[in-house]
Amino acid sequence: MSLMSNTSALFGKELRTEFRSRELLTTTVIFILVVVVLFSFTFDPTATESRRFGPGLLWLAFLFAASLMLQPCFLREQGNDTLSALRLSVPDPFAIFLAKLGANTLFLLLTEIMMIPVFAILYNVPVFRVFPQLVVVLFLGSLGLGVTGTALSAISAQARMRELMLPLLLLPLLTPLLIASTEATAALLDPKPTLRWDWLAFLIAFDVIFLTALWLFGEYLLEE
Amino acid sequence: MKKDGLFAFVVVALLGYSAYAAFYIAPDEKTMHLVQRIFYLHAPCGMTALVAFLVAFVGNVGYLVKRENKWDWLGIAGVEVGLAFCTVVLLTGPIWAKPAWGVWWAWDARLTSTLVLWLLYVSYLLLRTMIEDPDRRALVSAFYGVFSFLDVPLVYGSIWWWRTQHPQPVVFTSGGLDPTMRKVFYLSWVSLTLLMVLLIRKRYELEELRSEVQALEREAEA
Amino acid sequence: MKNIGSVFAAYIIGWAVFFLFYVSVARRTASLRADVQRLKDSLNKR
Repeated sequence: MSLMSNTSALFGKELRTEFRSRELLTTTVIFILVVVVLFSFTFDPTATESRRFGPGLLWLAFLFAASLMLQPCFLREQGNDTLSALRLSVPDPFAIFLAKLGANTLFLLLTEIMMIPVFAILYNVPVFRVFPQLVVVLFLGSLGLGVTGTALSAISAQARMRELMLPLLLLPLLTPLLIASTEATAALLDPKPTLRWDWLAFLIAFDVIFLTALWLFGEYLLEE
Repeated sequence: MKKDGLFAFVVVALLGYSAYAAFYIAPDEKTMHLVQRIFYLHAPCGMTALVAFLVAFVGNVGYLVKRENKWDWLGIAGVEVGLAFCTVVLLTGPIWAKPAWGVWWAWDARLTSTLVLWLLYVSYLLLRTMIEDPDRRALVSAFYGVFSFLDVPLVYGSIWWWRTQHPQPVVFTSGGLDPTMRKVFYLSWVSLTLLMVLLIRKRYELEELRSEVQALEREAEA
Repeated sequence: MKNIGSVFAAYIIGWAVFFLFYVSVARRTASLRADVQRLKDSLNKR
């Protein structure tokens, strides 16, 4: 299918661009680390407290990191007007969005997986016994971040004060995702870990709804 | 113009009567007594805010599909009126909560959801101020409006489910509604809905006029 | 009557929000109507 081949070509381009310098990945990982460490000064880091506050703080850190990391997504296509070139290169503009959100989701997921061991050590929470399930939760959450963040990045690139507008637009929208991801993660880090299918289903619904909306209306955001 | 004045008069009269009903006709509630009467303003405002946001959603989708300015006007009118109703919910909630339960804010599911919605749609308004070109502004805010409205059920659902897992005793309803209470509630709801229609129409007219002024100014410069 | 003050406050504050919104919109509408009239007059004079 033409959409898939166009998307994978653009996706490859996004990956190559990032892995050439890796600057986005490294700065994002360090940012999450800084936030997580700073958060630990706001409460008494005993085992029970860490289990109570840890998952929420972790996801908040991911949300903040995403709202910063997604800034360049469409901004860097404005210099040299590469966005017009992209638009001309594919028949379906949705391919551009799919490629970018795929890349963003992957980058977010990678940074989150890198952070998990650090989080486990700093907060004394057992993560390795539930690592596969945790990755599922991280993936679904990151997909939601990727879909909404990529769409809103295209929006904020057209506004003034874009550095502040992206977090401002993104964070209230992500409230349901924050709640669902935190609850699912907390359940996995509990002494008796459980996989919360209700919250996972909710995350899937969140991802599907916004992906569909992006598919239906996204191309209008890329218009001249 | 006269029809407008008549409609406004009817709305104000109905609102006055529904307030009278809330104070004098509605029976006293068992546990909270007098303070519970705030319910007749608080709860319908919440529902009407959602209807206003639905109107805005229709405007947003309409603009994305049709690209006629009148849909954009409907969108902004719906959002601003919806925010006004949300504000009333957020102000009357704590006024009810403090005497009834001793706390200003208890993170009750509906009130918390309304707070998130308020933040979401305030961001919509802020976004509009950050884009100068009117066509771009209409297009971009229409898209964000669609995303915001799709988030509404997700916000309510997630916060409600979250609160169910960690319940608290504050409940902003009137328990089982006795028939007289129900009638007062519906009266209040109808009058607030008519108020919403009135406010949306006035706000829409304002945008329409603004567009007319811009067109005339362009003609004057030519 | 306990808490009658709260009920009054709630209704007055609620109505105040709607009233302020209405007044703000009505004022801007009137000013724009005046602008429309002024511009139409000046175009007619041409």
